[in-house]
Amino acid sequence: MIIVTGASRGLGRAVAESLVEAGREVLGISRKTEGLPCEALACDVSDYGALKTIAQNLRKEKIEVEGLVNAAGIASMNLAVTTPPSMTQKLIQTNLVGTIQCCQLFAPLMIRRKSGSIVNFSTIAVALGLKGESIYAASKAGVEGFSRAFAREMADFDIRVNCLAPGPIKTDLLKGVSDEQINAIVSNQIVPKVFQPEDVCSLCSFLLGPQSVSLSGQVLHVGGV
Amino acid sequence: MNLEESKSLVRACITEITDGEIEPTDEMNLIGKEASLDSMKLVELCLALEDQAGELGFEFDWTSEAAMSRSRSLFRTVASLAEEFENQSKKAE
Repeated sequence: MIIVTGASRGLGRAVAESLVEAGREVLGISRKTEGLPCEALACDVSDYGALKTIAQNLRKEKIEVEGLVNAAGIASMNLAVTTPPSMTQKLIQTNLVGTIQCCQLFAPLMIRRKSGSIVNFSTIAVALGLKGESIYAASKAGVEGFSRAFAREMADFDIRVNCLAPGPIKTDLLKGVSDEQINAIVSNQIVPKVFQPEDVCSLCSFLLGPQSVSLSGQVLHVGGV
Repeated sequence: MNLEESKSLVRACITEITDGEIEPTDEMNLIGKEASLDSMKLVELCLALEDQAGELGFEFDWTSEAAMSRSRSLFRTVASLAEEFENQSKKAE
């Protein structure tokens, strides 16, 4: 089984759908579970207790967890000085703490089988230092730092940990962003185009699968930086 | 489960995960400079105790805030880990 957080929308949903289409057993974790393309459990990734209950139940049911995709996250495009403190807390709690908690609680299920792959979602905003995304980028820079160190901690158990860092991808979440803003970001990529969810899904499948057995602790930037 | 049974169980788990290479004592350090287990074996010990707890009908929580606040770390020695295991088994009764 592969666990996908944030599976109800955006790239998390696209990844869950692509894995199901590829014949993989997927457990989606998201706050809303209606209409998910896979088995799903309602849970906020910032809720440690609820995640722990899910992990305990998977262990009790002897579910073989082969992979974890941490795609749950929120974005906020604001200048740092105009961002309310509650939003700062929410960004860090969901994007960074949520990813850490899922790794802490679901990795032991992979440690038991001494094999697995974890893909944590970051953003190209970290490498590009995008204006208006400082707090969002800070939360994702934390994800990248955590992932690099966690990759070393998991290496003894043959569990790989990598990050995917997409730029603007054509999902529902881009609806509120102007073409001008999107073009400004994309122009900084080595491949200056807006990629499709399928492009991210194929990279995610690559990182989950045996073709990437030599990769751990890496950040793959979609479009290149 | 009493403390002696708990110590015996922790020692047995250590013996098993190290394939008998280590003969654990109650005073054996599990973390720090004098640690007898590497970090990989320490994680395996946690998982082994989690399995044992499951068989005994309770959840062993090695990340428990309460356990960590009672002392610096439940992983100081075999005895401190066994004490925490016993505490959690009693709470579940």
